[in-house]
Amino acid sequence: MIDATPEATPAAPVRPTRAPRRAPNELTFILDERLVESAAARAPDWLAADRRAAFARYRALPIETNQLYTTYVDLRMADLAAVIPWEAPAARPDAPGPALPEGAAGYAALTEDQIESLALDDETRDAGVIVDSLEGLIARDETLARRLLGDQASLPLDDKLAQLTRAGWNQGVVVHVPAGVRLERPIVIRWRVGEPGRGLLTRTILDLGEGASASIVEELEASDGALDRTGAQALFTGSLEVHLATGARLDIASIQNLAANTVAFQHRQAEVGEGATLHWALAQLGGRLVRSRVDNRLAGNRSSVEQVEIIFGAGDQLFDLTSYTRHTGRDTTGNLLSKAALMDATRSYMKGLIIIEPTAVGTDSFLGEFGMNLSRQARAVAIPSLEIDQPDCRRAAHSSAVGPIDETQLFYLESRGIDPEEARKFIVLGFLEPVVARVPLVSAQDTLRELLEAKWDAGAAAASAAPAA
Amino acid sequence: MTATRDLVADQREQFAFHDDIDYLAQTKRGLTRATVEEISGFKNEPDWMLQYRLRAYEHFMKRPLPTWTDGLDRINFDNIVYYRKPSEREEKSWDDVPDKIKATFERLGIPEAERKFLAGVGAQYDSEVVYHSVKEELSKLGVVFMGTDQALIEYPEIFRKHFGTVVPAEDNKFSALNSAVWSGGSFVYVPKGVEVPLPLQAYFRINGENTGQFERTLIVVDEGAKVHYIEGCTAPIYATESLHVAVVEVVALPGSKVRYTTIQNWSNDVYNLVTKRAHAYENSTVEWIDANTGSRKTVKYPSIYLRGENATADIISVAVAGKGQHQDTGAKAVHLAPNTKSRIVSKSVSKDGGRATYRGHLKVSPGATNVVASVRCDALMLDDISRSDTYPYIDIQEDDTTMTHEATVGKISAEQVFYLMSRGLTENEAQNLIVQGFLEVFTKELPMEYAIEFNRLVKLEMEGSLG
Repeated sequence: MIDATPEATPAAPVRPTRAPRRAPNELTFILDERLVESAAARAPDWLAADRRAAFARYRALPIETNQLYTTYVDLRMADLAAVIPWEAPAARPDAPGPALPEGAAGYAALTEDQIESLALDDETRDAGVIVDSLEGLIARDETLARRLLGDQASLPLDDKLAQLTRAGWNQGVVVHVPAGVRLERPIVIRWRVGEPGRGLLTRTILDLGEGASASIVEELEASDGALDRTGAQALFTGSLEVHLATGARLDIASIQNLAANTVAFQHRQAEVGEGATLHWALAQLGGRLVRSRVDNRLAGNRSSVEQVEIIFGAGDQLFDLTSYTRHTGRDTTGNLLSKAALMDATRSYMKGLIIIEPTAVGTDSFLGEFGMNLSRQARAVAIPSLEIDQPDCRRAAHSSAVGPIDETQLFYLESRGIDPEEARKFIVLGFLEPVVARVPLVSAQDTLRELLEAKWDAGAAAASAAPAA
Repeated sequence: MTATRDLVADQREQFAFHDDIDYLAQTKRGLTRATVEEISGFKNEPDWMLQYRLRAYEHFMKRPLPTWTDGLDRINFDNIVYYRKPSEREEKSWDDVPDKIKATFERLGIPEAERKFLAGVGAQYDSEVVYHSVKEELSKLGVVFMGTDQALIEYPEIFRKHFGTVVPAEDNKFSALNSAVWSGGSFVYVPKGVEVPLPLQAYFRINGENTGQFERTLIVVDEGAKVHYIEGCTAPIYATESLHVAVVEVVALPGSKVRYTTIQNWSNDVYNLVTKRAHAYENSTVEWIDANTGSRKTVKYPSIYLRGENATADIISVAVAGKGQHQDTGAKAVHLAPNTKSRIVSKSVSKDGGRATYRGHLKVSPGATNVVASVRCDALMLDDISRSDTYPYIDIQEDDTTMTHEATVGKISAEQVFYLMSRGLTENEAQNLIVQGFLEVFTKELPMEYAIEFNRLVKLEMEGSLG
């Protein structure tokens, strides 16, 4: 175990403190209606109505509405009964925040109770790009705010946790790129969360006009107060709501390395317009329990999405990831790949559903789910599914494989004089490389590589320290 | 060989008949505790079976209908006759079979099949096995092949030892229903080291409008023994809905080999809800070869639990869904022991608004080291009003499993149709040939006369001439 408590003695073996018995689908966090009402009271009418409608759906919905997946829900590790959501942060400080990261065009840095920085370089700002808090957006351009924040379809209506975020969000960021503006350099959005006993509920909205292009790096990090897995838990819920107009192109990389006391519920939904292109590169490393859902809605003709997602788990982490790819336009393309490397007693649930609607003639859709169990206690679940109403497609397929480290690769590396443990590391990091290579900012790429390597080294150290089984 | 069992001629009408039988004993419509007691009473069963049925009945009443597949709420359980007995006792000789029933079987081709080369025949007419014969040579080998009801009386020890151990009554709502009201079905016991030289075959028919059929099959294959069991169904066509809820249990003891082949061709008003499961012990091989072309809705996932080291599971599942049909089929392989292997191949065809669903489960449990497993699902959609779904569940809890899964969905290639038409085939003939080729992975596993029959069924489906 990578984070064994230091005070553990041989008399008291290190064992995870068992969560109290409860049903796997029981959500221990309860969103207080007063909190929703107090946020609604400060908001314009349309937004107050939006929060209340979301709250009603949140209360009515079960945790999993898709019958295919009800047996693969497990929230028992999430001990959130005592979690208290943060209030909305104070107005942004006048003092300039940290400088732009090298190579970035814009930067939003947010902590749980503070907006540290909202910055753009001059050229990008002059092009009409907006990076702002959601309150800032409402004050700046209520029409735009209403279109983006009030769009009911921007988050799945049948998802309790998405509606929880929508009803109770206390922070948010928007990135708006006007039509025709093409950003060469990425915008970085960094969240730092994990204060024990607190909950941060956020919405992030990415809006690209016709023909615009941009890249976003989202970094989810532990705040200074965050604890290891034995400490009181924190809650983070976050959305990424993506609107791509005709011909827009967006690359999103997300590096999730939250603290081991943090439970994360993530919802990413993209409406992809005609001829628009979306690339996701998602890395899941941290957190105690992560439940994530990605909805790709290929509405426009010739729209396309590529999604690559990796999971690197250690300890007793649970990664519960679902993706829905819905093809409605003609000649749309979906290419999804999920890979999980699992150490110790980690679990990954990779659930993916491709839906090809009757209108979606000429679809090309592929879903791959691959697992590598690095320990006998690890568990990989893959449910790659297809629902097809239109056979006139270029491709509709999925594939899945679970296997150990390839012995022939290992043999090859060892025959080149590489130490066996080092060789295993190369193979595992190579397995996860597809996401690293797609991160559109060199410094973030380096960070991700270092994080993966450190996690491997910690796992290997723990394994060699553990008594032989 | 074709002529010996000309089950499917080119006219569908041959099967669309039913005879007016005077039922000597039948229960009232609907299911109550008294119905279960009445069924058990008709059969003069030992008390443990009555108690078993009653426990299953209680579970059935408690258990909600599954909601993960749709349309089951259209079944009116109160409007079904749960037991009918067409004749007072089981007939040992063909001459004693009532003429009307005999006439039905004549049309199905059973006597010829029996005369020629079939190893044994168990024919189910409604809810009771009325005719059963086992070739003498099989009896000499010690092979038991008889109606399940009869086996309960004649082989109480082996029956009780295995009955309900593979599919417990509480497994699902429909296994509970079957356990409560089961009647008929086949019982097979193959003693140690015996290889049954020819396939054992049973024909099933549903007759009587709104008659439920709840057969129960138990196959026990002892160490080192080998058997191939074939089940094929045809049923008369009726306008209102019929229900078929079966349970099949297979026990493959160490070193044995079992193949179970099904051609399911219920008429298009039947709800066919079947639980089929096998336990495979050390070094045994179990094969399910399963085709579904008929019924209004079939829910069936032949399963193999690999319980002993080096056991092998092989499942081929084929479905054709035409107008108004939903084939919700698939396969399950559960690896519970080291060095076990499984292979699942599924092929489905949907057309004329039909829906084909593959649902599969592949599980490698802790302790099942060095497992090799593969799943392959292909679906063909012949038009854009049909639907195809694929829902595979893969759950791996060991670190040295090698598992691969692939699925594709597509339509018939226009180039292939064009090529065949340029060689003088009509469009329909061309499509038919391509579909037959697509399903060949299944057909080639069948005995030849079945393969011919199956291809005819597919051809009839393709022509839309089935009801």
